[in-house]
Amino acid sequence: MLIDLKDINKTYNNGQPLHVLKGVTLGIEAGEFVSIMGASGSGKSTLLNILGILDNYDTGEYRLDGKLIKDLSERQGADYRNRMIGFIFQSFNLISFKTAVENVELPLFYQGVSRRKRHALAMEYLDRLGLKDWASHYPNEMSGGQKQRVAIARALITHPRIILADEPTGALDSKTSVEVMDLLAQLNREEKVTMIIVTHDPTVAEKTRRTIRIKDGIIEE
Amino acid sequence: MKLDIDTFKEILDTLTRNKSRSLLTGFGVFWGLFMLLFMLGGGNGFKAMLMKNFEGFATNTTILVADRTTKPFKGFKDGRWWSLETGDVERLRLMVPELEVVSPSLSVWSSSAVREEYSYADAVVKGIDADYRKIEEPVMKYGRYLNEVDVKQERKVCVIGKRVYNELFPEGGDPCGKYIKAGAIYYQVIGVDFSASNISVNGNSQDAVLIPFPVAQKIYRRGNRVDLVAMVGKPGVKMSTLEDRIRAVIAEAHFFDPTDKPALFIIDTEQLFNMVDTLFTGVNLLIWLVGLGTILAGAIGVSNIMLVTVKERTVEIGIRRAIGATPRDILSQIMMESVALTSAAGVLGIMFTVGCLAVLEKAFPGTPFQIGFWAAVLALFLVALLGVVTGLAPASRAMAIKPVDAMLDE
Repeated sequence: MLIDLKDINKTYNNGQPLHVLKGVTLGIEAGEFVSIMGASGSGKSTLLNILGILDNYDTGEYRLDGKLIKDLSERQGADYRNRMIGFIFQSFNLISFKTAVENVELPLFYQGVSRRKRHALAMEYLDRLGLKDWASHYPNEMSGGQKQRVAIARALITHPRIILADEPTGALDSKTSVEVMDLLAQLNREEKVTMIIVTHDPTVAEKTRRTIRIKDGIIEE
Repeated sequence: MKLDIDTFKEILDTLTRNKSRSLLTGFGVFWGLFMLLFMLGGGNGFKAMLMKNFEGFATNTTILVADRTTKPFKGFKDGRWWSLETGDVERLRLMVPELEVVSPSLSVWSSSAVREEYSYADAVVKGIDADYRKIEEPVMKYGRYLNEVDVKQERKVCVIGKRVYNELFPEGGDPCGKYIKAGAIYYQVIGVDFSASNISVNGNSQDAVLIPFPVAQKIYRRGNRVDLVAMVGKPGVKMSTLEDRIRAVIAEAHFFDPTDKPALFIIDTEQLFNMVDTLFTGVNLLIWLVGLGTILAGAIGVSNIMLVTVKERTVEIGIRRAIGATPRDILSQIMMESVALTSAAGVLGIMFTVGCLAVLEKAFPGTPFQIGFWAAVLALFLVALLGVVTGLAPASRAMAIKPVDAMLDE
C-alpha cells in the first residue's frame, strides 16, 4: 500500500482547541485515481497537508511507501516532498517573477540538477503539455488553464509517486476544468502516477475512480 | 549551502526581476558608502590644500621675539623693554649645538620699492642672513639667493618676492643686474623668489625685498638689534625640548628672569603643525562617525525592507519549501540576496565616489582628493560583511515560513 493512514488525529490549538481530524484511517494503493470530497471545514485540506508532509499530525501513523512519516527533520521532510510528492494548487502558486520553464525547473534546482539538464527536462515536460511556445512567458501572461498546466508540469518533473491536487479546477472555467481533469486522468493512466484530488465539486469527483468522503474529521467512504 | 553558479544565477534572477524593490533596498547602502568615502576624500583634499600654505617652511622651526619683561630681576624693574641682538645668534649657535640653523631677521614695514621712477611697489624690506633660506625655502625663478659673501661684505644687493617682481617688472624677463630703489638706497637685484608660501614671518615672502641684515641694521639705524631670531633644529631634534635652554641663554645675556616667560616670545611651528594635525584628526573622526552612521542607517533600511519583502514573499517561500527547499536553502538564499544587494550597492557607491572626487581633482588641480585603492577594497569588504549582518533578521523570519504557507491565498 502506497499510503497507509492509521487513526490520524490532528488538533489546532489557536486559542480554542479545534479537533479537525478525529481518527482518520485510510489506505490508497499505488496507481489509484482518488478524490477526497467534503464540505469546507470538514478537514479535507488538513488531511491533504498531512498527506503532503506539509503539516504534522498529533497521534496515529502515516506510512508513505512503507516509511513512517513522523517527526521528520525539516531536511528529510523537504527531501520526501521533493522526490515523492508533486503538488498542484488551486491558485496555481507559480512564482510570478519566473518564466514558465523556470517554474517547472525549480524542484530540480533544489535537487541540485545542473542547469542545462533541468532546462532540457522542463522543456520536454512543457512540450508534452502543449506549452512549448509559452516556455519563456511569465505567469501573468498566461491563461488559467495554461498556468495550471505549468503547475502540473512542475509537479511531474521529479517523477513523484503521488500527485496531490488541492481544488485543481477551483479557479478555472468549466471547459478548462474538464481539460485539466482529462489531463490528470491521462497522466494517471499513462504514467501510473497516484493521483489524489481534493475537491468539493461532484463533477470533478465523478472523473476519478474512487471517492473518499470526509465529514467533520471522519472518513465516510 | 550550495555555492555554485546556479545558486548565484537564482539570486541574480530574483534581484534583477524585482528591480524597483532591489533599487530601493540598495540605495541606503549606496548613499552611506558614498557619504563616507566622499567626505574622507574631501577631508584629505582640504587638508592637503591647507598644508600647501605651509609649503617651503621648515616644520621644526622656532622663532624668538623679544617682549617686555614682567618680573624684576637683578636690580632691573619689571616692564623693561629689551631687544634681541646680533650677538644672540652666535650665543645660541655655541650654547645649543642641537640647532642646525640660527638666523636673524629684521623687517622694515611699509617700505616701498621703486624702479627708475616708472614703477612702484609696496614692499617689506627684510634684512636676513644667508642661511635664512633654510627657514623659508626660496623658489628661485631668476638669479640666486643672498650668500655669505653678500652678508660679510655688506653688499647692497637684494632678492625680490614674486609680487614685487610682477609690479616692478611688468614686462617680465630676467631682472638680475638691474637696480631698484628701496627707501633712499639703490640695490642691485640678484634674484627673484617665486615661493608662494602663505606663512608670514615678519612679512610675506611675496612682498619682500630681501637684503643682507648688516646692511639693514646700518641703513635703518638699528645698531646691532634684530627683530627676531629663527632657528631650525637638527634632524630628529624636538624643538619643544630645547625651549628651556634657549630661554636660559637669552635671559642670561639680557638680564631677565629665565622663568619670565612673557619676556621672550617663542613660536614653535611644530606646535602649529600639531594643532593642524589634531584638528584634522578631529575632523576625520567626525567624518567616520557621520559616514558610518549613514551606512548603518542604510543597512538598517536594507534589513527593514527585506523584512517586509520576506513577508510579501511568504507564499513564494512556502512554494519553494513545498517543492523541496530545505530551511537552509531559504536561509542561504535570503542571506546571499542581502550580501549581493549590499555589495552591488557598495560597488556603485565607490564608483560614484571615485567619479565625484575625480571631478573635484579637476576643479582643484594638484590637490589629492582621491581615495586609495585599498581603502575602497576595505570599504567593500566591510559592506559585504554588513550584508551578512543585515540579512540575519530577514533570513530568520524567512526560515520560520512553513511549507503549509504555500496554501495561503496570494
